[in-house]
Amino acid sequence: MSKKGVTILELLISITLTSIIVLLLIEVIISLNKVNNNENYASDDEIKRTEIIKNIESDFFKLKLNGLTINDNKILFIFEDNSTKELTINTNSLIYDNEKYVLETKNATYSTCFKYNYQDLDNNYYLITLDIPVIIKNKKDFKGDDISLTYLGLKKENTNYQLNYTC
Amino acid sequence: MKKGFALLETIIVITFVSVSLLLLYGTFTNMFNNSEKNIIFDNASDIYKTYFLKEYLAMDNLNDLLKNENIINISCANFEKSDCETLIKNYHISNIYISKYDLKNYDKSKYKANFNEYLNSVTNKDNYLYRLIVEYKNNNTFSYASIGFGDNHE
Repeated sequence: MSKKGVTILELLISITLTSIIVLLLIEVIISLNKVNNNENYASDDEIKRTEIIKNIESDFFKLKLNGLTINDNKILFIFEDNSTKELTINTNSLIYDNEKYVLETKNATYSTCFKYNYQDLDNNYYLITLDIPVIIKNKKDFKGDDISLTYLGLKKENTNYQLNYTC
Repeated sequence: MKKGFALLETIIVITFVSVSLLLLYGTFTNMFNNSEKNIIFDNASDIYKTYFLKEYLAMDNLNDLLKNENIINISCANFEKSDCETLIKNYHISNIYISKYDLKNYDKSKYKANFNEYLNSVTNKDNYLYRLIVEYKNNNTFSYASIGFGDNHE
Protein backbone atom coordinates (compact mmCIF):
# COMPACT_ATOMS: atom_id res chain seq x y z
CA MET A 1 0.00 0.00 0.00
CA SER A 2 1.30 3.42 -0.95
CA LYS A 3 2.07 5.73 2.03
CA LYS A 4 2.39 8.89 0.01
CA GLY A 5 -0.78 10.49 1.24
CA VAL A 6 -4.18 9.88 2.84
CA THR A 7 -7.08 8.33 1.01
CA ILE A 8 -10.57 9.89 1.11
CA LEU A 9 -11.73 7.05 3.41
CA GLU A 10 -8.91 7.75 5.89
CA LEU A 11 -9.72 11.44 5.78
CA LEU A 12 -13.44 10.79 6.42
CA ILE A 13 -12.73 8.47 9.34
CA SER A 14 -10.32 11.00 10.87
CA ILE A 15 -12.81 13.86 10.49
CA THR A 16 -15.62 11.78 12.06
CA LEU A 17 -13.48 10.77 15.04
CA THR A 18 -12.17 14.31 15.49
CA SER A 19 -15.75 15.65 15.40
CA ILE A 20 -16.82 13.24 18.16
CA ILE A 21 -13.88 14.35 20.32
CA VAL A 22 -14.60 18.04 19.68
CA LEU A 23 -18.25 17.49 20.71
CA LEU A 24 -17.19 15.77 23.92
CA LEU A 25 -14.69 18.52 24.59
CA ILE A 26 -17.38 21.19 24.11
CA GLU A 27 -19.60 19.39 26.66
CA VAL A 28 -16.75 19.33 29.20
CA ILE A 29 -15.94 22.99 28.55
CA ILE A 30 -19.61 23.99 29.00
CA SER A 31 -19.71 22.11 32.32
CA LEU A 32 -16.50 23.76 33.50
CA ASN A 33 -17.81 27.13 32.39
CA LYS A 34 -20.89 26.57 34.57
CA VAL A 35 -18.65 26.11 37.60
CA ASN A 36 -16.61 29.15 36.66
CA ASN A 37 -19.70 31.33 36.26
CA ASN A 38 -21.16 29.88 39.46
CA GLU A 39 -24.45 29.16 37.75
CA ASN A 40 -24.77 26.33 40.21
CA TYR A 41 -24.86 27.65 43.74
CA ALA A 42 -21.24 27.44 44.90
CA SER A 43 -20.62 24.83 47.56
CA ASP A 44 -19.09 27.47 49.85
CA ASP A 45 -22.42 29.30 49.88
CA GLU A 46 -24.37 26.09 50.41
CA ILE A 47 -22.36 25.52 53.59
CA LYS A 48 -22.83 29.15 54.61
CA ARG A 49 -26.57 28.96 53.96
CA THR A 50 -26.82 25.88 56.19
CA GLU A 51 -24.74 27.65 58.86
CA ILE A 52 -27.00 30.74 58.86
CA ILE A 53 -30.20 28.67 59.03
CA LYS A 54 -28.78 26.43 61.77
CA ASN A 55 -27.55 29.36 63.89
CA ILE A 56 -30.85 31.25 63.73
CA GLU A 57 -33.10 28.19 64.14
CA SER A 58 -30.96 26.99 67.09
CA ASP A 59 -31.66 30.30 68.83
CA PHE A 60 -35.39 29.90 68.07
CA PHE A 61 -35.26 26.49 69.80
CA LYS A 62 -32.93 27.29 72.70
CA LEU A 63 -34.17 30.76 73.62
CA LYS A 64 -37.74 30.14 72.41
CA LEU A 65 -38.86 32.77 69.95
CA ASN A 66 -41.68 34.89 71.35
CA GLY A 67 -41.95 37.87 69.01
CA LEU A 68 -40.67 39.57 65.90
CA THR A 69 -40.64 43.08 64.49
CA ILE A 70 -39.45 44.28 61.08
CA ASN A 71 -38.03 47.70 60.31
CA ASP A 72 -36.90 48.09 56.69
CA ASN A 73 -34.06 45.60 56.27
CA LYS A 74 -33.74 44.82 59.99
CA ILE A 75 -35.59 41.99 61.70
CA LEU A 76 -35.61 41.92 65.48
CA PHE A 77 -36.21 38.52 67.07
CA ILE A 78 -37.58 38.68 70.63
CA PHE A 79 -37.11 35.64 72.85
CA GLU A 80 -38.97 34.37 75.93
CA ASP A 81 -36.41 35.80 78.37
CA ASN A 82 -36.91 39.22 76.66
CA SER A 83 -33.46 39.07 75.08
CA THR A 84 -33.28 40.16 71.42
CA LYS A 85 -31.16 39.39 68.39
CA GLU A 86 -31.11 41.37 65.17
CA LEU A 87 -30.85 40.14 61.60
CA THR A 88 -29.80 42.77 59.06
CA ILE A 89 -30.28 42.02 55.38
CA ASN A 90 -27.98 43.83 52.95
CA THR A 91 -27.64 42.92 49.30
CA ASN A 92 -24.12 41.59 49.80
CA SER A 93 -24.31 40.26 53.35
CA LEU A 94 -26.48 39.05 56.21
CA ILE A 95 -25.56 40.13 59.72
CA TYR A 96 -27.00 38.04 62.56
CA ASP A 97 -25.97 38.56 66.18
CA ASN A 98 -22.96 40.66 65.01
CA GLU A 99 -21.74 37.89 62.73
CA LYS A 100 -21.48 38.73 59.04
CA TYR A 101 -22.24 36.20 56.30
CA VAL A 102 -21.02 37.27 52.85
CA LEU A 103 -21.98 35.43 49.65
CA GLU A 104 -19.03 34.04 47.70
CA THR A 105 -20.93 33.20 44.52
CA LYS A 106 -20.22 35.57 41.64
CA ASN A 107 -23.25 37.76 40.80
CA ALA A 108 -25.20 36.46 43.84
CA THR A 109 -27.03 38.87 46.13
CA TYR A 110 -29.51 38.68 49.00
CA SER A 111 -32.81 40.29 48.16
CA THR A 112 -33.95 42.92 50.65
CA CYS A 113 -37.47 42.22 49.40
CA PHE A 114 -38.01 39.24 51.69
CA LYS A 115 -41.26 37.47 52.50
CA TYR A 116 -42.61 37.16 56.02
CA ASN A 117 -45.83 35.49 57.08
CA TYR A 118 -47.52 34.93 60.44
CA GLN A 119 -50.34 32.41 60.62
CA ASP A 120 -52.53 31.32 63.52
CA LEU A 121 -53.09 27.56 63.71
CA ASP A 122 -55.40 25.47 65.86
CA ASN A 123 -54.70 24.51 69.51
CA ASN A 124 -52.97 27.86 70.13
CA TYR A 125 -50.18 27.11 67.68
CA TYR A 126 -48.81 29.75 65.37
CA LEU A 127 -46.51 29.46 62.39
CA ILE A 128 -44.05 32.00 61.09
CA THR A 129 -42.19 31.71 57.80
CA LEU A 130 -39.45 34.05 56.67
CA ASP A 131 -37.93 33.69 53.24
CA ILE A 132 -34.91 35.75 52.20
CA PRO A 133 -34.35 35.16 48.46
CA VAL A 134 -30.84 34.74 47.08
CA ILE A 135 -30.71 36.11 43.55
CA ILE A 136 -28.07 34.84 41.17
CA LYS A 137 -27.79 36.83 37.94
CA ASN A 138 -28.58 34.83 34.79
CA LYS A 139 -29.90 31.93 36.87
CA LYS A 140 -33.52 30.87 37.18
CA ASP A 141 -34.91 31.58 40.63
CA PHE A 142 -34.47 28.47 42.79
CA LYS A 143 -36.02 28.20 46.24
CA GLY A 144 -33.27 25.86 47.39
CA ASP A 145 -30.82 28.78 47.38
CA ASP A 146 -32.98 30.98 49.64
CA ILE A 147 -32.54 31.47 53.36
CA SER A 148 -35.82 29.98 54.57
CA LEU A 149 -36.60 30.18 58.28
CA THR A 150 -39.62 28.83 60.05
CA TYR A 151 -40.93 28.49 63.57
CA LEU A 152 -43.94 26.73 65.05
CA GLY A 153 -44.73 28.00 68.52
CA LEU A 154 -47.38 27.93 71.20
CA LYS A 155 -49.17 31.23 71.77
CA LYS A 156 -48.68 32.94 75.12
CA GLU A 157 -50.10 36.11 76.66
CA ASN A 158 -47.07 38.19 75.82
CA THR A 159 -46.46 36.78 72.33
CA ASN A 160 -45.72 39.76 70.11
CA TYR A 161 -45.43 39.20 66.36
CA GLN A 162 -45.76 41.57 63.46
CA LEU A 163 -48.57 40.05 61.38
CA ASN A 164 -47.29 40.74 57.89
CA TYR A 165 -44.63 42.52 55.91
CA THR A 166 -44.54 43.88 52.40
CA CYS A 167 -41.34 45.27 50.93
CA MET B 1 9.47 4.48 4.75
CA LYS B 2 6.79 6.14 6.81
CA LYS B 3 6.28 9.82 6.08
CA GLY B 4 3.39 10.56 8.44
CA PHE B 5 0.91 8.91 10.82
CA ALA B 6 -0.77 5.73 9.65
CA LEU B 7 -4.55 5.44 10.04
CA LEU B 8 -4.08 2.85 12.79
CA GLU B 9 -1.89 5.21 14.82
CA THR B 10 -4.40 8.02 14.43
CA ILE B 11 -7.27 5.76 15.55
CA ILE B 12 -5.33 4.53 18.61
CA VAL B 13 -4.49 8.09 19.70
CA ILE B 14 -8.06 9.30 19.10
CA THR B 15 -9.51 6.35 21.05
CA PHE B 16 -7.16 7.03 23.96
CA VAL B 17 -8.05 10.72 24.04
CA SER B 18 -11.81 9.90 23.76
CA VAL B 19 -11.66 7.49 26.70
CA SER B 20 -9.79 10.09 28.80
CA LEU B 21 -12.36 12.77 27.95
CA LEU B 22 -15.25 10.42 28.71
CA LEU B 23 -13.74 9.61 32.12
CA LEU B 24 -13.25 13.31 32.80
CA TYR B 25 -16.81 14.06 31.77
CA GLY B 26 -18.13 11.23 33.95
CA THR B 27 -16.27 12.62 36.96
CA PHE B 28 -17.67 16.11 36.43
CA THR B 29 -21.22 14.84 35.89
CA ASN B 30 -20.94 12.96 39.19
CA MET B 31 -19.72 16.08 40.95
CA PHE B 32 -22.63 18.14 39.61
CA ASN B 33 -25.17 15.47 40.57
CA ASN B 34 -23.76 15.24 44.09
CA SER B 35 -23.81 19.01 44.52
CA GLU B 36 -27.45 19.06 43.34
CA LYS B 37 -28.32 16.33 45.84
CA ASN B 38 -26.85 18.45 48.65
CA ILE B 39 -29.56 20.99 47.90
CA ILE B 40 -32.51 18.67 47.34
CA PHE B 41 -31.74 15.99 49.96
CA ASP B 42 -31.96 16.96 53.65
CA ASN B 43 -31.66 20.67 53.00
CA ALA B 44 -31.31 22.56 56.34
CA SER B 45 -34.57 24.50 56.05
CA ASP B 46 -36.49 21.35 54.97
CA ILE B 47 -35.23 19.46 58.04
CA TYR B 48 -36.57 22.18 60.36
CA LYS B 49 -39.90 22.21 58.52
CA THR B 50 -40.09 18.42 58.84
CA TYR B 51 -39.38 18.67 62.57
CA PHE B 52 -42.15 21.27 63.08
CA LEU B 53 -44.58 19.17 61.05
CA LYS B 54 -43.83 16.17 63.29
CA GLU B 55 -44.40 18.32 66.38
CA TYR B 56 -47.65 19.78 65.06
CA LEU B 57 -49.07 16.40 64.10
CA ALA B 58 -47.94 15.02 67.49
CA MET B 59 -46.55 11.96 65.80
CA ASP B 60 -44.63 10.80 68.86
CA ASN B 61 -47.99 10.04 70.49
CA LEU B 62 -49.14 7.76 67.72
CA ASN B 63 -48.71 4.03 68.07
CA ASP B 64 -48.38 1.35 65.43
CA LEU B 65 -48.70 3.73 62.49
CA LEU B 66 -47.56 1.32 59.85
CA LYS B 67 -49.37 -1.84 60.97
CA ASN B 68 -47.96 -4.42 58.56
CA GLU B 69 -46.71 -2.03 55.88
CA ASN B 70 -43.10 -0.96 55.34
CA ILE B 71 -43.98 2.47 54.03
CA ILE B 72 -47.24 4.43 53.75
CA ASN B 73 -48.32 7.71 52.22
CA ILE B 74 -50.29 9.78 54.74
CA SER B 75 -52.29 12.99 54.52
CA CYS B 76 -54.09 15.45 56.79
CA ALA B 77 -57.09 13.10 56.79
CA ASN B 78 -55.10 10.82 59.12
CA PHE B 79 -54.93 13.51 61.80
CA GLU B 80 -57.47 15.50 63.74
CA LYS B 81 -55.84 18.85 63.13
CA SER B 82 -58.02 21.48 61.51
CA ASP B 83 -55.12 23.62 60.25
CA CYS B 84 -53.02 20.76 58.94
CA GLU B 85 -53.73 21.80 55.33
CA THR B 86 -52.65 25.38 56.11
CA LEU B 87 -49.31 24.13 57.39
CA ILE B 88 -48.85 21.89 54.34
CA LYS B 89 -49.63 24.78 52.00
CA ASN B 90 -47.25 27.15 53.81
CA TYR B 91 -44.45 24.59 53.72
CA HIS B 92 -45.07 23.64 50.04
CA ILE B 93 -45.40 19.97 50.98
CA SER B 94 -46.48 17.63 48.19
CA ASN B 95 -46.31 14.25 49.96
CA ILE B 96 -45.85 12.86 53.45
CA TYR B 97 -44.65 9.31 54.05
CA ILE B 98 -44.04 7.22 57.13
CA SER B 99 -41.69 4.28 56.88
CA LYS B 100 -39.93 1.86 59.17
CA TYR B 101 -36.78 3.62 60.38
CA ASP B 102 -34.52 0.87 59.14
CA LEU B 103 -36.31 0.40 55.82
CA LYS B 104 -34.73 -2.19 53.57
CA ASN B 105 -37.36 -3.69 51.29
CA TYR B 106 -40.20 -1.85 49.64
CA ASP B 107 -41.77 -1.68 46.21
CA LYS B 108 -39.54 0.91 44.51
CA SER B 109 -41.66 0.93 41.35
CA LYS B 110 -44.43 2.81 43.23
CA TYR B 111 -42.23 5.83 43.93
CA LYS B 112 -40.29 8.51 42.07
CA ALA B 113 -36.65 7.79 41.15
CA ASN B 114 -35.46 10.74 43.28
CA PHE B 115 -37.45 9.47 46.26
CA ASN B 116 -35.85 6.02 45.96
CA GLU B 117 -32.44 7.64 45.64
CA TYR B 118 -33.12 9.70 48.75
CA LEU B 119 -34.14 6.64 50.78
CA ASN B 120 -31.00 4.93 49.57
CA SER B 121 -28.89 7.82 50.85
CA VAL B 122 -30.30 8.08 54.39
CA THR B 123 -28.38 6.62 57.32
CA ASN B 124 -29.95 4.49 60.04
CA LYS B 125 -27.52 5.33 62.83
CA ASP B 126 -30.13 6.34 65.42
CA ASN B 127 -32.49 4.16 67.36
CA TYR B 128 -36.00 5.06 66.19
CA LEU B 129 -39.00 3.00 65.14
CA TYR B 130 -40.30 5.20 62.33
CA ARG B 131 -39.12 7.76 59.83
CA LEU B 132 -41.21 10.72 58.72
CA ILE B 133 -40.26 11.53 55.12
CA VAL B 134 -41.56 14.74 53.57
CA GLU B 135 -41.49 15.65 49.90
CA TYR B 136 -41.42 19.39 49.22
CA LYS B 137 -42.23 20.93 45.87
CA ASN B 138 -40.84 24.33 44.89
CA ASN B 139 -40.89 25.56 41.28
CA ASN B 140 -41.34 22.00 39.97
CA THR B 141 -38.30 20.82 41.93
CA PHE B 142 -38.87 18.07 44.49
CA SER B 143 -36.74 18.02 47.61
CA TYR B 144 -36.77 15.55 50.49
CA ALA B 145 -36.10 15.61 54.22
CA SER B 146 -36.74 13.08 56.95
CA ILE B 147 -36.66 12.74 60.68
CA GLY B 148 -36.79 9.70 62.97
CA PHE B 149 -39.42 9.29 65.67
CA GLY B 150 -40.88 6.73 68.06
CA ASP B 151 -38.63 5.24 70.72
CA ASN B 152 -37.23 1.82 70.04
CA HIS B 153 -37.26 0.07 73.40
CA GLU B 154 -35.89 -3.23 72.12
